[in-house]
Amino acid sequence: MSTNIKVTERNFFQRLDSNYIFVILALNVIGLINLYSATHSVNVTYNEKLFFQQIVWLFAGWILFFTTTFVDYVFWKRISWVIYILNILLLMAVMFFGKEVYGSQRWLDLGFFRFQPSETVKIAVILMMANYLSAKSAYKGLGYRDLLIPAIITGIPFVLTVKQPDLGTALLMAFISTSMIIFVRVKRSILILAAILTLFATPIAWNFGLKEYQRNRVLTFLSPGRDPRGTGYNSIQSKIAVGSGRILGKGFRKGTQSQLEFIPERHSDFIFSVLSEEHGFIGSVTTISLFIILYIMSINIAVGARDKFGTLIVVGVTSSMFWHMFINIGMVIGILPIVGVPLPLLSYGGSSLLTTMFGLGLISAVAFRKYLF
Amino acid sequence: MSSFVSGSEESTKEFKGRFKVLYLAVIIASSIVLARLWYLQIIQGQELRDYSEKNRVKETKIVAPRGFFLDRNGEVLVQNLPGFSVTISPQYTIKLEQTAEEVGKVLNLPKEEIIKTVKESRYRNGPFRPVPIRENLSLDEVFKLKLIRLKHPGLNIQKNIVRNYPLGANGAQIFGYVGEISKNQIQFLNKKYTDIRFEQGDIIGKSGIEEVWEPSVRGVPGITFVEVDAKGREATTDTPSFLGLKAFKAKPGSNLVLTLDKDIQIAAQTAMNRDDKIGPRIGSLVAIKNNGEILAWVNSPSFDPNEFSTGISNELWEKLINDPFKPLRNKVIQDHYAPGSTFKPIIALAALQEKVITPSTIVYSPGFIKFGRRMYHDHTKHGHGNINVIHAIERSSNVFFYKMGISLGIDKMFEYASAFGIGQKTGINLSNEVPGLMPNSEWKKRQYGEEWQPGENLSNAIGQGFVLTTPLQMALAFNAIGTEGKLYKPFIVKKLTNHNDEIIKEFEPQLARDLSIADENGFKIDKENFKTVKEGMRLVSNGERGTARWYKVPGIEMAGKTGTAQVRSFSADQIYEKCNERSIEERHHGWFIAFAPADYPEITVAVLAEHACAGSSGGAPVARDVIRAYFEKYHPEKLKVKRSSI
Repeated sequence: MSTNIKVTERNFFQRLDSNYIFVILALNVIGLINLYSATHSVNVTYNEKLFFQQIVWLFAGWILFFTTTFVDYVFWKRISWVIYILNILLLMAVMFFGKEVYGSQRWLDLGFFRFQPSETVKIAVILMMANYLSAKSAYKGLGYRDLLIPAIITGIPFVLTVKQPDLGTALLMAFISTSMIIFVRVKRSILILAAILTLFATPIAWNFGLKEYQRNRVLTFLSPGRDPRGTGYNSIQSKIAVGSGRILGKGFRKGTQSQLEFIPERHSDFIFSVLSEEHGFIGSVTTISLFIILYIMSINIAVGARDKFGTLIVVGVTSSMFWHMFINIGMVIGILPIVGVPLPLLSYGGSSLLTTMFGLGLISAVAFRKYLF
Repeated sequence: MSSFVSGSEESTKEFKGRFKVLYLAVIIASSIVLARLWYLQIIQGQELRDYSEKNRVKETKIVAPRGFFLDRNGEVLVQNLPGFSVTISPQYTIKLEQTAEEVGKVLNLPKEEIIKTVKESRYRNGPFRPVPIRENLSLDEVFKLKLIRLKHPGLNIQKNIVRNYPLGANGAQIFGYVGEISKNQIQFLNKKYTDIRFEQGDIIGKSGIEEVWEPSVRGVPGITFVEVDAKGREATTDTPSFLGLKAFKAKPGSNLVLTLDKDIQIAAQTAMNRDDKIGPRIGSLVAIKNNGEILAWVNSPSFDPNEFSTGISNELWEKLINDPFKPLRNKVIQDHYAPGSTFKPIIALAALQEKVITPSTIVYSPGFIKFGRRMYHDHTKHGHGNINVIHAIERSSNVFFYKMGISLGIDKMFEYASAFGIGQKTGINLSNEVPGLMPNSEWKKRQYGEEWQPGENLSNAIGQGFVLTTPLQMALAFNAIGTEGKLYKPFIVKKLTNHNDEIIKEFEPQLARDLSIADENGFKIDKENFKTVKEGMRLVSNGERGTARWYKVPGIEMAGKTGTAQVRSFSADQIYEKCNERSIEERHHGWFIAFAPADYPEITVAVLAEHACAGSSGGAPVARDVIRAYFEKYHPEKLKVKRSSI
């Protein structure tokens, strides 16, 4: 072969996708600025330490990110079932030894850290699904039989999470798996059947599957006046916070809704309302744009992946990030009912942050290995 | 090399075209979010900014008044009184130091204490929650605080409702008390009653009827909206609705009409606190009507539940829980005791029904009998000679009943005692009822892994040994004897009414079982046998040698039985030692259970006088006074002498 192709080996840093890292860093900076405001109200000092804890988690997250990047992701394919089983065991442990907060058991108390297995189990499900689907996918689409294993992979953690009870996280898992399955293509008849089943299953799940308070949340979402004490109030205060930010926002640490503590959980699930109130439409759009850029870059990485497993990991992690963002912001701006789902990279929380950084690390690893040389 | 390259292309080529779906999903979802943000922040922006800056509307809970407790004739037993309290809302407090200092001057409280309370609550409950500084303010304090209120944002005087118990310590254990819900209770109660929401700061029933009937009594809290100005001062508004939220009024809790009779309850308390040789009784008293309605319920010593309504002090609480005579305890159902001789009428019924004896069988009853290698003593040295069952009850012969115990055996005694409800919960709707204990041979094997010893038949036949009963069980059993077989389920709430006095729910007496009618196993007790035993019990109060013959209600014949429950067992030579010479913890408990009229009861009273040495002097005058109070109120014409006192 006469050679006019020049093969040069790329060094470490050339192989890293620096733009990708830059976008994540930008979201980190926005997240920290915003968390500082949410945890430092005029009168409140008791959750100032959360801000510093988050910085520690962030450092740990970046170490995890780079470690994951440099490990060939085939490694995760091999041990995906170990990670999965370990996570299932941890979820079961939560049922027996878990710490109860706000009426549901989601945390394992490790002394220095309250670990939330329902966060990490999402990654385990993505790895298992990617592993299975990469072997099964075909042009003609998946058949009924091919869906049995994915149903089991998702079903076990789904049931365990519903039991906690944490319906939000359980539904998220279902969304992620469904996104991956639809991505690899299923037979059309299955899609139609699934649509019909959903139609029939909804009233049954409504009557038998949901707890009273969960039904209330949905009803309250449909008409906030129904339950003025509880979720209706939160939802309305959150809408006021977002709307009152107008175009430019009230300014850093000047949001009255959040600083005077009309907003519940403003450092975790309602963090976006702080951002919108203090930085307005401009701030919100900037942040959402960064997320969109992150997704598009991720999908581009999926397109260029070395193999099907790589593509599917990226699709899984990206859909997880996407659903988290959409459900969380949707709840804050009042287009979805209130469920306890964190906003990736912005909400306070170690388990969520580490899981997100690990997921992004996986995407980065796929990007890192797309080059043959 | 080339195969490696093509392999890679092959694998991902399959997904070509699928990525479009992903791009599309991201774009659609982002557009929805951005459109909504546009609507909220740009179209509605000004309006929502006004809400957030000018009038911050805070929703406030209106506490629903708890339902009253009324007696069977509509007299108030438990009610609500208005009160004032002062609170500081951390959310709006700007200069806590000065506020604390001025409030402290008015209330005579150190400033540091106020600051500490506010900071602690803020840490624990968040800044929203107003921190109560002092409840039950005097009018003078209210006036002074109102003067300084405007200078101190966050300082508020609130009208509140104070639970009030006009009878004070009388009946405290049955009515219960209220207090602020604890964190654990919030979780526990929300799981238990899924249709009610319990929240931080709720005042809930913590014991007695207040606790058990909480769902009916508590009502539904209302919502109002309070405008908070830029300085954090509150101004109540009439705003009926706020962005789709509606204010609504609190719905008061249901009133409970109890089966209790206030006058009888007061008479019972007075009788227990009598000032005679023995002095105020420690222990419990329960009076029931012949259909299971509770008429009076007294535990002694007691406590004042009003102290709990306004927040009990630590010292008082310590004192209550460390009192050796347990004032917080609902002894009528929470403590069990050996029934002692009050158990004998049941054994007599068993012996008659099982044809061990007839009413006229004469049994030689000396001062002791020897069984096995042990001596079993009577309570009098010389015994009672030749007596039949009626006189054995009248004089409370131990030896007569030792012999009945030997002939019947424990499993027959178990069958009869269990039929009367001994050793089982009565099922009254109150917390922490104990079942007591009625042993049989199977139980002994299960519990101790040993065979039942024949000697144990003797002690258990006179209500010592293993048998344990509660005063309420005994009252119901005696009522069943008096009514010749009718064992009722006890109840204390007759009706639920709303604030317009309309009846919501009514409760009827429930006959648990009629012992004079054969059950599916053919078990029954003949009316004739009831009559024989009742005659013996009539003589206890009216016979020449009755053990309680000194205590009568002229015009009304009582029938009853005395008993002593040994606190610990004594050796033979200690038995005749004077009870009063022992230290109080070692003295026997005295029982007296009686019904009246003797031929067919309307009321049954059980008295357990702890450490009173004897049932006769310890319990009988107390029960007698309650029975007299009942007939004075309901059948004054039957009484021969209006008032006599011993």
